[in-house]
Amino acid sequence: MINTGVNKELTMSAGIEKHSGKNRFNLSPYLYIGPHLILFAIFFLFPTLYGIYISFTNWDLIGDPEFVGFVNYKEILVNQDSTFYDQLRTGLGNTFKFVLFTVPACIIVPLLLAAGLNTKPKGMKFFQALFYMPTLFSVSAVMIIFSMLYSVSFGPFNHYLNVETNWIATQPYAWITLVTVTVWWTIGANMIIYQAALNGISKDLYEAAAMDGANSVQRFFRITLPSIRAQILYTVVITTIAQFNVYGQPLMLTKGGPTSSTTVLLMYIQENAFGSGISIAGIGAAMAVILGLCIMAVSAIQFFFLRQRD
Amino acid sequence: MRKISVFMFSILFVVMMALSGCSSSSSGSGGSSSAKNEIVYWNPFTGPDGENMKQIVNEYNKTNPKFKIKNVSIEADDMYKKIPTVVNSGKGIPDLTIVHAERIKQFVENDLLTTYDDKLADHPEIKAENYVPAGWNIGDINGSRYSVPLDVHSFVMYYNKDLLEKYAPHALDDNVITFDEIKAAGELSKKDKITGIGITWTRPIFLSIYNQLGGDITSDGEAATLNTPEAKKALELLKGLVDGKIANKDGEDPGQLFKSGKAIFYPEGIWMQNSVNEAKNLKWGLTSFPQIAPDKIVNWTSSHQFVMFKDKNRTEEKTKGIMEFLDYVRENSLPWAKAGQNPAALATLDNPEYQELPQSFLIKNPEMQNTLKIFDYKYNGFVAEEVDKLVGDSIYGKLDIDKGLKAAQKAVDDKIGTNKK
Repeated sequence: MINTGVNKELTMSAGIEKHSGKNRFNLSPYLYIGPHLILFAIFFLFPTLYGIYISFTNWDLIGDPEFVGFVNYKEILVNQDSTFYDQLRTGLGNTFKFVLFTVPACIIVPLLLAAGLNTKPKGMKFFQALFYMPTLFSVSAVMIIFSMLYSVSFGPFNHYLNVETNWIATQPYAWITLVTVTVWWTIGANMIIYQAALNGISKDLYEAAAMDGANSVQRFFRITLPSIRAQILYTVVITTIAQFNVYGQPLMLTKGGPTSSTTVLLMYIQENAFGSGISIAGIGAAMAVILGLCIMAVSAIQFFFLRQRD
Repeated sequence: MRKISVFMFSILFVVMMALSGCSSSSSGSGGSSSAKNEIVYWNPFTGPDGENMKQIVNEYNKTNPKFKIKNVSIEADDMYKKIPTVVNSGKGIPDLTIVHAERIKQFVENDLLTTYDDKLADHPEIKAENYVPAGWNIGDINGSRYSVPLDVHSFVMYYNKDLLEKYAPHALDDNVITFDEIKAAGELSKKDKITGIGITWTRPIFLSIYNQLGGDITSDGEAATLNTPEAKKALELLKGLVDGKIANKDGEDPGQLFKSGKAIFYPEGIWMQNSVNEAKNLKWGLTSFPQIAPDKIVNWTSSHQFVMFKDKNRTEEKTKGIMEFLDYVRENSLPWAKAGQNPAALATLDNPEYQELPQSFLIKNPEMQNTLKIFDYKYNGFVAEEVDKLVGDSIYGKLDIDKGLKAAQKAVDDKIGTNKK
């Protein structure tokens, strides 16, 4: 018995060696991922690394970048007298506010709509198309439409509410406007994911729960939500990352105002690196790295809390 | 297995070819590698005025010059991002480029421009006497000529002729409208729900008033001067118009008000004429920007300028071709004037067709030409960014004027400081 065992092991390991030796030059796995790998390297990996490098330099985009070590980071993180310190604080603060205001709504509203559509009401296809449509519009088109809707003098909102509210240039209306616009614009993507997930839940579970006397609210929280937890985790993380990168909405609608209260960090990054003045690319890149680290940290925390229950 | 490998490999090959194909074709569309007898001409005229520029280029090409012009219009922001890249790489550098006047000092400082000094000898007509001074002077840096002006475009004021007749019939008798006259007219028109003046683009509005009061964005060409008593006075004057309900309310669209006949005065650029003409029943006139006192008139102005970015591969012959085109534009700027601009070359001045155009009043005599003020400063862009954030918020009462000015000055100083390191 013992001998056979050893023999088997021997033959197995020999087999492995033989096998791996034969496949050492097998390129096919790399060929499969090759096209994506090249695109990933050109459009993602290289720019990211280069951006990190620039954040350690003083560069106006014209001459050669001059390596300055952590000077840019000191300026934006520690030097309290600096305008850039204020910019990072204001910009990051406003970005976090935006994420905090929009993400819950961007999860709950599509989830409710998907749950509603999942009951297969009359005209379901029509409503599905209707809810999905805004996602297809470009950010500039959406913002132009909404700046007209919210216009002080001839906008329908003020006309029908019979008020003269300046929706885009006074607080708290500017935030309300930004959040509603963003939710309206992004309903579709998450809704489609939830719809697919809801379709995958077995009907047996609902029938069993109904027999045990569970009402519809209990069924939603005890069956529906746990069953689509993976999809919710995915959408929460993806939506958070997407909202951290907010730029078009405040740029076009509120122009960062009133008094920089809706100026998000990406607007400062753009202003410093590609503004109308001489480029301060180093500071812009350092701010971008900080933003990237924040996104990574927040995503990690979300993963931690939503995965733990498994 | 092998078949699949070969198949995948061929796909990879195609992708790589496609990628490399992209890069080579994009560099090929630019300057040096293109056809030899062609001058690649970049400009930021992507709006309706682009058609007028195309017309000039087409007519020039019809004269059968040795070097034909290839007109390439690129969105201004993209163009300014592209320029450092192509000039650094040395590939695809445009032969001739239009840039805004305020950018030129920056380019010279970074040693990106070729001078015109040795090229002007063959074209004696390209000289100061033949151009509007404000436009011509911009290109003279440290005794060298780096640019030739195409136009001078100013921020002036439109007025509704009927409403002016009704509320301020004598305001224009001296050809200048003062802020006092606007206030008086606004007080009268308020009762009929007519706005006195529209607050449009705050940057030139503020800068014009600031300059009338004796302020400027820099005192010595290096340091920025923004937090000054004159700036405070300028903002207070504008805030007074808002608080007195002479100006439009925050968020109201002044263009809409003016076009629908609900505003008397509408400060805007001369380039906005097409937009104002959309309102069919509106009878409008054009005059200088409103003034504090009639004896010192200031009209905010900018200018499009022809520059040549440094390029080792540009032949002397081609440069001669460029100069010929510039000389042609000097004498044939009328299509450009029809786009609403004022040509910088005085050769167009006597043309009766030009004299009919509303904006021609700005350069009809040397006195008016002297009212054109270009805010030429190395760090103009930094100032512009901060002024944009400051003016609207402070005149509509959302930002304390003193605090706002202090913050703006500090932001510009910090940006300059970081840039100089």
